[in-house]
Amino acid sequence: MPIAISGPIITTRGLSFSYNPHSQHPIHALRGIDLDVHPGEYLLVIGHNGSGKSTLAKHFNALLRPTGGEVRIKGLDTRDPANTLSVRRAVGMVFQVPDNQIVATVVEEDVAFGPENLGVPSGELRERVDWALDLVGMAEHRHRQPHCLSAGQKQRVAIAGMMAMKPDVLVLDEATAMLDPEGRRDVLEVVRKLNGEGLTVVAITHFMDEAAEGDRVVVLKEGRIAMGDSPRELFARVDELCALQLGVPQITELAYFLNQRDPTFPPDLLTVGELADAVERVANAPNNADDSSLPPLARTRAVPAPMVPSEQTLAIAKEDDQPLVQVRDLHHTYLRGTPLEAPALHGVSLEVNKGEAVGLIGRAGSGKSTLAQHLNGLLRPREPGRVRVGGHDLSDPGVDVRRIRQRVGLVFQYPEQQLFERLVGDDIAFGLKKLGMARLERVERVRWAMEAVGLDFEAFKDRYTFSLSGGEMRKAALAGVLALRPEVLILDESTSGLDPRSRRELLDRLLALHREEGLTLVFVSPSMEDVAELVDRVYVLDEGRVALSGPVREVFARPEALRRYGLGVPQVTGVIHELRRRGLAVEGVPLTVAEGVEAIWKTLNS
Amino acid sequence: MEDFELLRYVTVGQYLPGDSVVHRLDPRTKLSVFLFLTLAATFSLSYAANAILVLLTLGLVLLAGIPLRYILSGLRPAVPFIVVLAVLQLLFYGDAYTPYGTETQDLLRWGWIHVTNGSVQLVVVSMLRFVVLLFLTSLLTNTTTLTGLTHGVEAMLRPFGRLGLPAHELSLVATVALRFVPLLAEQLEIILKAQASRGASIAHQGKLRFVTTARQVAVLIVPLFVDAFRRAEDLILAMQARCYVGGQGRSSYVRLHFARADYVAYASGLLFAAAMLALRNRFPI
Repeated sequence: MPIAISGPIITTRGLSFSYNPHSQHPIHALRGIDLDVHPGEYLLVIGHNGSGKSTLAKHFNALLRPTGGEVRIKGLDTRDPANTLSVRRAVGMVFQVPDNQIVATVVEEDVAFGPENLGVPSGELRERVDWALDLVGMAEHRHRQPHCLSAGQKQRVAIAGMMAMKPDVLVLDEATAMLDPEGRRDVLEVVRKLNGEGLTVVAITHFMDEAAEGDRVVVLKEGRIAMGDSPRELFARVDELCALQLGVPQITELAYFLNQRDPTFPPDLLTVGELADAVERVANAPNNADDSSLPPLARTRAVPAPMVPSEQTLAIAKEDDQPLVQVRDLHHTYLRGTPLEAPALHGVSLEVNKGEAVGLIGRAGSGKSTLAQHLNGLLRPREPGRVRVGGHDLSDPGVDVRRIRQRVGLVFQYPEQQLFERLVGDDIAFGLKKLGMARLERVERVRWAMEAVGLDFEAFKDRYTFSLSGGEMRKAALAGVLALRPEVLILDESTSGLDPRSRRELLDRLLALHREEGLTLVFVSPSMEDVAELVDRVYVLDEGRVALSGPVREVFARPEALRRYGLGVPQVTGVIHELRRRGLAVEGVPLTVAEGVEAIWKTLNS
Repeated sequence: MEDFELLRYVTVGQYLPGDSVVHRLDPRTKLSVFLFLTLAATFSLSYAANAILVLLTLGLVLLAGIPLRYILSGLRPAVPFIVVLAVLQLLFYGDAYTPYGTETQDLLRWGWIHVTNGSVQLVVVSMLRFVVLLFLTSLLTNTTTLTGLTHGVEAMLRPFGRLGLPAHELSLVATVALRFVPLLAEQLEIILKAQASRGASIAHQGKLRFVTTARQVAVLIVPLFVDAFRRAEDLILAMQARCYVGGQGRSSYVRLHFARADYVAYASGLLFAAAMLALRNRFPI
């Protein structure tokens, strides 16, 4: 893997690229990028959707060629078609959607696809496949079919497929965006290991904690490099990043706010360990800063207030002693009675009260989606299982499922799978039409739903659904469900894979609907940060059983248990656990950065 | 309630992992023997020959360890068709066929209805043949991975490469299509569920009858196609990124090889089919 050339392995000079350059409306994706990537470097590229990140990545292995300026890989100009194969040999690329980059129907054959194309002879081919599968820890799965693997495993197969071609550089184009925390951890571990062995890595990501691990971070904005520095220097510029609406890792945010209160606190921290060290050092310093002289907790961006289960929601819950949704001893097996049957749930019980926000978390395949689909009658309970929704018993074959589906709305993960009409307005009205609602009333309802999710009615109602951006599609999908005015809204991983700005916006809309309209939420998410912010209670699923349940704060107080079920805790919560492990007295279980700042501040001043 | 489990109704073509003798045979052997026995079944018109074929294939099914119930459950959706077909054959095909070496004997003649010994035999033999073909197809597809089948077909077509047949490209097309089948099935399931969640009454019109009106079909097909095209575009990029430029100069990872069991199976399949064809007019009934 180590390469015997000096100087940068990738160079771009004045790189610009336009889609449809000769049409009337060319899209200028890149507007002059000068970048050097050095051998052995771990470079991160961050930026919003549409900032040009993926376009840039595709230039590194000649999938796109510059419309202006130049790109050189190991000195080879990508504009010369004669160099294409050498360039692609040198730069391996892993894409975002795991399923769409696997060619063969068996794992080991897929890994062999690249070297087969290079004409690697049979003996060496076997060696390379064995080596590459070992490298990513997938050797034991070599004979399996890709569609039976988890998303994280598929991405590791994709990496193995690239490594089998022995590239000098590995480019990851949002390769972790669609993974659960465990899958992401495994993939990152592989990438770190490869980089440690000398492989140059260029990774595009939306996850700031991932970016914190690199040697250098480049921020793209509208096709230009807006910032570029080591992660420590870069993330310390919290104000600039917030102005770009990009956010920083929670640890850096904590350090930033603590530094604002106490200037002796270092502002440029990246890891849980570093922050814990700093807190210890400051706590043990002889002269503690005194409280009065310090500025209040600075809030530079619209982060909603910490989500404490409010008195109001608790009161609503008490009013009604019957839970709105009640699941008792639910079992489910897919393809039951065939040789391919796959058990998914083993005796799950759960309750959701009116006006509550409940989280369902667990690793991929733990049964979250199966459970969620029982709540609105897409799947029906079998004996002895019982599902009751507001007095209706779903195990009763005569029950009106459509009425239940109207009361319990379900939004799936990928919006493009839920938009089926040509125009946005028609799509949102789909359910209302099925209900037979009058036209005028329908229009009003669609207007309300679109505004509730932040889509302008006039501007969007006649847009083509498939022309929307990822974030807009999700909003439209959400509006389509909200239009039915459900009492309960189930979100099945509906916030995954979004860029930080769209994610923030969607979360804020959901919080508003929950607080102001009293909408009951069932939130399925792989992001512990989102769960901590949004819900009151969580159920942790593991292998089709409820492994843990209770108020978020109680559940996140047990990081070891969560780790056993393939989950983590928000970074802030992790810091507090670490401080406590080191013997510092920290109160409570903070779930958000604001709460974390208060808890640490209290400790520092006690 | 398994309205959304589309795979439940497809038993032919579904690989069932196992370790029987049949599972372990080379895919080329299985494909060849499948062809031989299919030919034998197609040209056998006597009761006796078809009974032998049913017993033989049943034996092979048991040898392969495929649950009979599983195979038969795949037959269920087709039962109404088979019954209608059999009745039509019985009533209206009296003149179409005379069993070899016999005279036509009327069993019933009433208006257009004309039942003869010939039409009775036709119905019974068609039924037996249907069972034989079902068993054969299940034997091939339930015991061989789709990948195995594509490699088998590619290897068997390779000699025709000199005649300009692009064996590798055809096999890659098949492989990619097979890769996408479970993805598209999953996608269709999600679209159906998303529509049902928003009030489309899909699960209520009975099994597999959700494609009732053209309107509903369009609402299903458009998002499915958009998804398929997007996946295809991604896949093209991923293949280009892995230096794919066509079949020229590629090496091959998969090595098929014939073991002793393959020679035995191949030879006995060939001999048996040849004997059945040679003797097809010599069976007593």
